Amino acid sequence: MSDNTVVRITDVKRTYFMGKVEVNALSGINLKVGKGEFVSIMGPSGCGKSTLMHIVGCLDRPTSGHVLLDEVDVDELDDNNLADIRNKKVGFVFQTFNLLPKLNAIENVELPLIYAGVSFEQRRKKAAELLEIVGLKDRMFHKPTELSGGQSQRVAIARSLANDPSIILADEPTGNLDSKSGEEIIRLFQELNSRGITLIIVTHDQEIASHSKRIVRLKDGLVVADEPVK
Amino acid sequence: MINLIEPLKIAFGSILSNRLRSLLTTMGVIIGVAAVITLVSMGEGAKSYILNQIGSWGVGSNSITINPGAENSHSIELTLTYEDAQALRQKVRNLQYLMPEFVGRGRLAYGKKEYKPGYTLGVSADYPFAYKQKAVEGRFFSQAEDSGRKRVVVIGKTVARNLFGEFSAIGENIKINGVGFKVIGLLEEKGTMLTFDMDDMVLIPSTLSELVLGTNKIWEMFITVEQDDQVPQAIQEIKKTLIARHRKEDFHIHTQQGMIDIVNNILNAMTGIVSAIAAISLLVGGIGIMNIMLVAVTERTREIGIRKAIGAKRRDIFFQFVFESVLITMSGALIGIAIGTLAAWGIMAYLKLEAVIAWSAVYLACLVAFLVGTFFGVYPAMRASALDPVEALRFEV
Repeated sequence: MSDNTVVRITDVKRTYFMGKVEVNALSGINLKVGKGEFVSIMGPSGCGKSTLMHIVGCLDRPTSGHVLLDEVDVDELDDNNLADIRNKKVGFVFQTFNLLPKLNAIENVELPLIYAGVSFEQRRKKAAELLEIVGLKDRMFHKPTELSGGQSQRVAIARSLANDPSIILADEPTGNLDSKSGEEIIRLFQELNSRGITLIIVTHDQEIASHSKRIVRLKDGLVVADEPVK
Repeated sequence: MINLIEPLKIAFGSILSNRLRSLLTTMGVIIGVAAVITLVSMGEGAKSYILNQIGSWGVGSNSITINPGAENSHSIELTLTYEDAQALRQKVRNLQYLMPEFVGRGRLAYGKKEYKPGYTLGVSADYPFAYKQKAVEGRFFSQAEDSGRKRVVVIGKTVARNLFGEFSAIGENIKINGVGFKVIGLLEEKGTMLTFDMDDMVLIPSTLSELVLGTNKIWEMFITVEQDDQVPQAIQEIKKTLIARHRKEDFHIHTQQGMIDIVNNILNAMTGIVSAIAAISLLVGGIGIMNIMLVAVTERTREIGIRKAIGAKRRDIFFQFVFESVLITMSGALIGIAIGTLAAWGIMAYLKLEAVIAWSAVYLACLVAFLVGTFFGVYPAMRASALDPVEALRFEV
């Protein structure tokens, strides 16, 4: 059973200080995501969705509690090892795409491979394959400014897949897109999921969430509902 | 193993995508390095030229120059006479050549043509050997002609051209300040030295200086001895002889080596000053680079966040920014070296001298630029590498 668990979060709390005011972003979250799952995390703004994503993605550390990623205890890792995890085990997709504007599509997709130490020829080949999968074969050498929002997000998704991660984390991936592009992105996620890729997306769009397989609802830093999509 | 090639490539790409700003950032370094390379190359050129000149004028380190006036005195009183020169010819052992030089103004006349040469000198028959300038046409006057007060003259190319044009000067009679002379020789061409035309010269026997030039005082006396190691002993004998005649030391003595030492000292001091200026300008340039790098880190906070989110380690970010700083500085140094070399070459070509590329200054400039780039790049790079990824991603410009 443990073989299939990609993310296991136990009693995770995260406290910020906004000036002198203590803010409890997460107040004790328990969550388990298995291999091949497609989970939506929903909830009102300020409920801790993004903080949870950052902690799962090893961009941030919990104030207390445990995070296991692929059965590796993340708490005990130093900064360098966390960077390795972000590089190889996690693929991030952001609401604002977060592509590097000076690099073209294929160079953006290559970035995680550079930090993984992959040779130029291999990463070119891999990046080209990924861009083909997301349907941007003919846009490989375009800069982000020459791409539409939907296309930019596809590049970002290709980038997140570069090192064959255990999980893709998407934080409001359709939030900056029109409904048609958003629909295309969610279909791409469904297709990736059908190939066995584990996905967690944060969204507040019920329509988007209904395309996933399981919906987790947060409120005030706690899980208030966790049910499969009918 | 730390891979440094990729951060280097990233830094290079970043500089290329910001060409103008990178250029302006490193302008201080460019100017500093260019100034140093120009000045040092010119200095080296001047040094080798002056040393060459000293070498070609004197016979070498066996030569001694005696100037009138006491050491460090500012008077221009001419204290040495033809008789002093004759006395030295008697008293100094191992004497090879002795060349007193009387300087005056000459007005030349050939028929109705008149010409005022740059230099009219009274010299001894040792002139062609002492100064290594022979007569290429005709001959130089002999010692017998000098002591016999023969009215013979040897002239330079410029004088000959002005007075005789295309025709041979040898055997022609001319007047110098109204005194009749026969031209017996044409001097080998020397060219210009620091814009002075060395061929615009007329040489008459030293014994006629008083009659023609109105002076019996020696401007400078040039002596050579047979062997280099006889110089100190010769100096002692010169001093002894002249002090015995004058009852005081109203002259001073230079040697070839002394002159070379002086030239070297002056130019080394100049190089030192230039280096100090360079150090200051590189320091200022370095601070400019640090300033821009700090701005770049702030401006690229989001980029740093993105890179960290997809797996860049602290050291990846650190090296990216340090390399950027070093590359910018080094490019500045290289551009500065190119500009400095061209400028030195141009200025020296204008002065009709040869610039000597100061390789030591080139290597030093590269090394210093590397150190400046590293030193002033480390702090911004540390700031960049220490950024928290979540906050960096949230950062809005």
